[in-house]
Amino acid sequence: MAVGADAQITDLRADGHACLTFGEPDELFDLTAAFVRDGLACGLKVVWVSDSAPQRATAELARRGIAVESALAAGQLTTEECEGGLLSGQEFDAGRAMNWLISQMAAGRREGFPGLRVAVDMSWALRPVTGVEQLPDFEEGVAAALSGAAVSVLCQYDREGFDPVTLATVSAFHTLSVAAATYHADAVLRICRQYAPPGIRLAGEIDYQHAEQLALALTEAIRLDGDITVNMTALTFIDGSCARMILNAARGLDASRTVVLHCRPGIAATFGLLGADHMAGVSLVVMHDR
Amino acid sequence: MTDDARRRPRPGVGVAADHGESLALDQAFDGDSLYALRAAVAAHGSQAGLSEGRTRDLVLAVHELAANAVRHGAGQGRLRLWAARDAVRCEVTDGGATGKADGAGAEPGEVARWRAEPGHGLWLVRRIADGASVKSGPSGTVAAVIFRRVRS
Repeated sequence: MAVGADAQITDLRADGHACLTFGEPDELFDLTAAFVRDGLACGLKVVWVSDSAPQRATAELARRGIAVESALAAGQLTTEECEGGLLSGQEFDAGRAMNWLISQMAAGRREGFPGLRVAVDMSWALRPVTGVEQLPDFEEGVAAALSGAAVSVLCQYDREGFDPVTLATVSAFHTLSVAAATYHADAVLRICRQYAPPGIRLAGEIDYQHAEQLALALTEAIRLDGDITVNMTALTFIDGSCARMILNAARGLDASRTVVLHCRPGIAATFGLLGADHMAGVSLVVMHDR
Repeated sequence: MTDDARRRPRPGVGVAADHGESLALDQAFDGDSLYALRAAVAAHGSQAGLSEGRTRDLVLAVHELAANAVRHGAGQGRLRLWAARDAVRCEVTDGGATGKADGAGAEPGEVARWRAEPGHGLWLVRRIADGASVKSGPSGTVAAVIFRRVRS
């Protein structure tokens, strides 16, 4: 069901050079959290070069259920900023960036990890950085360096920020493309899979006219095990029929599973009218300002 | 209207026009323009002095009535919104007679197709509005809701 992508974030192999495109920060954090979670679970070392400050990056991962503290303490997870690694004084040099990656690979081996996962947020390249034209050289170099190594690199591109020509150029150096499975996306509404914690994410306004896409997203999320999160923190309107559909899906689940509804007060009020706050198997989490 | 009646929502009654109200919005809609309808109602509800929560309820109520008109009525309709000193009143009409040569419009049975069982559109509307009514007549189905500015 993924649109314009070969693979889901949860399908990545031990080696490979994947190009992830995302549409909004929430999606980036979600997909990265899944990448980190699965890497840690396999005993790999995980490095995330984030465009946010390291504290923000780790907080976003922790918010999505990653045991950040213990992984950081064990040296299994590191979060870095671009500056000092990929960039030096806001200047990009493909050779130096490759040296950084090779040193990360060597460090991972030295520390005894069976493999390494590196996620790199490429948003730095949207700013006036000297040497940005060497980005394709870097991506080509990464592809060569990974050959035969138990290392996977996930390059993260903001699909709204990068122009289509740049995206097409760099994506050619990757072995596969990854994006959130998207069930509907237009100016008013976006319905996509959420990976960490697993569930679906709704943004914008939803009514009965997109009930079919909502039903498909719910059905696919429910096929997984465990609790399901319906992330509606960026949803500003839901009508009675869609709210009912979500609650009916919750009613149909095994008693051991919970549907967690994350939403703003306005959306929570609609679910409240339908009795969601007293319903077994439903947990209503109201988010106030972030 | 007494204070007591004002405080207690009484579904099905209390949607009569107040003196001094003025037509603030008159908008045709169909399935493709419900988004625009909601945006217009939100703007007018807020402008008329309803609180954030009540404006949200008004938007939900109008949406449910309009969606009923689209799905179970003529497929399109018209919303009129009046702002008065103490309330906002809305009327949703579904355009009535569809394909009926005699122009008889909705039969009395039409209302039954507006789902009123718990959890469905009209049920929700009655839960949140200070007054709600649905009538079918020769010119179609007319649903009205009133939201008072002060509500205890």
